[in-house]
Amino acid sequence: MEMKTRVAGDVNILEISGRFDTNTVPPVAAWLEQVTSAPKSRVLVNLAETTFVDSTALATLVQGLKRCQQVQGDLCVCSLRRPVYMIFELTRLDKAFNIFVDEEHALQSLKS
Amino acid sequence: MLVTLLSSQYKRFAAIAEAWLAQGASAFGVFQDGRPLVYWPAGHRLAMPSITAPITKDDEEIADLRVAGISGMTAEIRLKADAAMISYMLQLENELQCMTADLVTSQDQQLSLYRLTQTMRNHMSVDETLQALVIEALRMTKFQAGFAVFVPSNGQGPLLIQSAENFFDDDVAWQIYWHTFSHEHDAILPDPESELPCPKGVENLLAVPIWVRGGVMAGMGLANRPGGFGTPEIKLVRAIADQASAQIERMLLYQEMFDQARLRTEMDLARRVQLDLLPRHLPKVAGIDLYASSRPALQVGGDFFDFILGEGRPMIFSLGDVTGKGLSAALLMTMTRSAIHSKAQFMPFPTPEAVMRQSNEDLYNDFTRVGVFATAFVGQYEPGSQQMIYANAGHAPVIYRPFDGKPELLRADSTAIGILPVSHCRDQTLRMHPGDLLIVATDGFSDARNPHDETFDIERLIDLVDHLAPRTAREIADAMFETVDRFGGGRNQDDDQTLVVIKGAAS
Repeated sequence: MEMKTRVAGDVNILEISGRFDTNTVPPVAAWLEQVTSAPKSRVLVNLAETTFVDSTALATLVQGLKRCQQVQGDLCVCSLRRPVYMIFELTRLDKAFNIFVDEEHALQSLKS
Repeated sequence: MLVTLLSSQYKRFAAIAEAWLAQGASAFGVFQDGRPLVYWPAGHRLAMPSITAPITKDDEEIADLRVAGISGMTAEIRLKADAAMISYMLQLENELQCMTADLVTSQDQQLSLYRLTQTMRNHMSVDETLQALVIEALRMTKFQAGFAVFVPSNGQGPLLIQSAENFFDDDVAWQIYWHTFSHEHDAILPDPESELPCPKGVENLLAVPIWVRGGVMAGMGLANRPGGFGTPEIKLVRAIADQASAQIERMLLYQEMFDQARLRTEMDLARRVQLDLLPRHLPKVAGIDLYASSRPALQVGGDFFDFILGEGRPMIFSLGDVTGKGLSAALLMTMTRSAIHSKAQFMPFPTPEAVMRQSNEDLYNDFTRVGVFATAFVGQYEPGSQQMIYANAGHAPVIYRPFDGKPELLRADSTAIGILPVSHCRDQTLRMHPGDLLIVATDGFSDARNPHDETFDIERLIDLVDHLAPRTAREIADAMFETVDRFGGGRNQDDDQTLVVIKGAAS
């Protein structure tokens, strides 16, 4: 797994490529904890290059989402590949997260 | 020094004097600062010497030879030669003394290093070792203040130990350490050419890197040695650093062994919690053939399954997976299982939907605090009803294969327990006629990996279920474990694998 972070306006963007699972979760969890401590924190997780997610990875994203909500912020995910989208759909995480087709749409929603 | 030489070589001085007297001199003597140290013959004060020649040390005149009653060029040359010879002896004597002193110091240092090793051996943590290191280093080198740092490679917090509280600002100590770290070399202050400024209150400073496992992981800084320091002190401090390096390596090895043992104990405990809580006997329920089994991974996850039976009540079963590994996952699994179990057992008219909603309410706050969630599936079967009522909170994979149709993946109807404050679970109904098959498994099956890093995947799981459908519940479960094992090709199981297989039977 590789993670890249950048900032667009006041949105913190995280790109995860490769397998996102128990073994690769710690740096992502650490980054999310840091960025979601600011008030009204807005976070976008771009999963375009993510090939696999397991339950620990999902738990990390859920924790990030809850932390964002606690500070009146928001966390969105975008650009899910089919197998990853299937996991979100099967486990109904599509009800918990705002999922966007691409970064542009996600940013529009986050910035409005 | 000259006096020492005179007393140890008295006979030779006397021989020189005798030779002068034999040549016609009335007296011969050695003088320092105008006062006689020794003279021949006794009683002659050499008040009016006829020739004198200087004895030097490092080109400085420190004494002189005096002769009375004789003069001339020959006598002058001879006296000069005598003085030069004595000067040379003096120099040799001096070197000998220095060498002896060095030898004694080096013996002392070896003894101290041995003591240092003994002292440091008694300490069990890196923190204590650093404390001992600083104290012993100060005692051995006569520096007045010191610090030691350690930066573990496992991401734990760095350590800084000081001999006297706040002699160095923490920032200053770290700045000095990172300097030795990046140069992989000693730092000596004051040094006008170094980019490292001499901190306030520091007259002189020696900092050395400490190598651990092939890289700089620690360091020591010593300051304010009265009279400064030179090569012997630098050598000694390096030797102390080497001792510290060996000791830190030993300690890390010990710590790792300890951590591994602890992890093994924790995992054993978690595995016992998990296995002991699973139902020992599978219930027999009219109208269905059922089988369930769970296999914890080496790094135990949080899988569970459970059957709740009561006199005159429908059979309820649950299966779930708590995120995380080890003892914490086992603990949260116990909570989730108990929450579901007690609702299913004590609610007057339990339905899967009500059980799930209540359990989510019970667990939401705690789960949010620790940042986990649990996927769960709750099914309810009234014997003879030929239908299964279920609620699915974020659980996958769940596969249903009607006896006369293709297998399908059942999507959860709400998110997992602990994600949203209110569960949107709804009761769903499945037909359970003879041959209809329901398989609720955990992601330990679909996420199983082979040596090429490919996952077993849900598609393969669906095909497998389709293929196994004609068999009995027990045979289906056994074949599923076997197939996933074969796919793994000897690779360690990454996650727990748990399943419940229910097949409609003729009642």
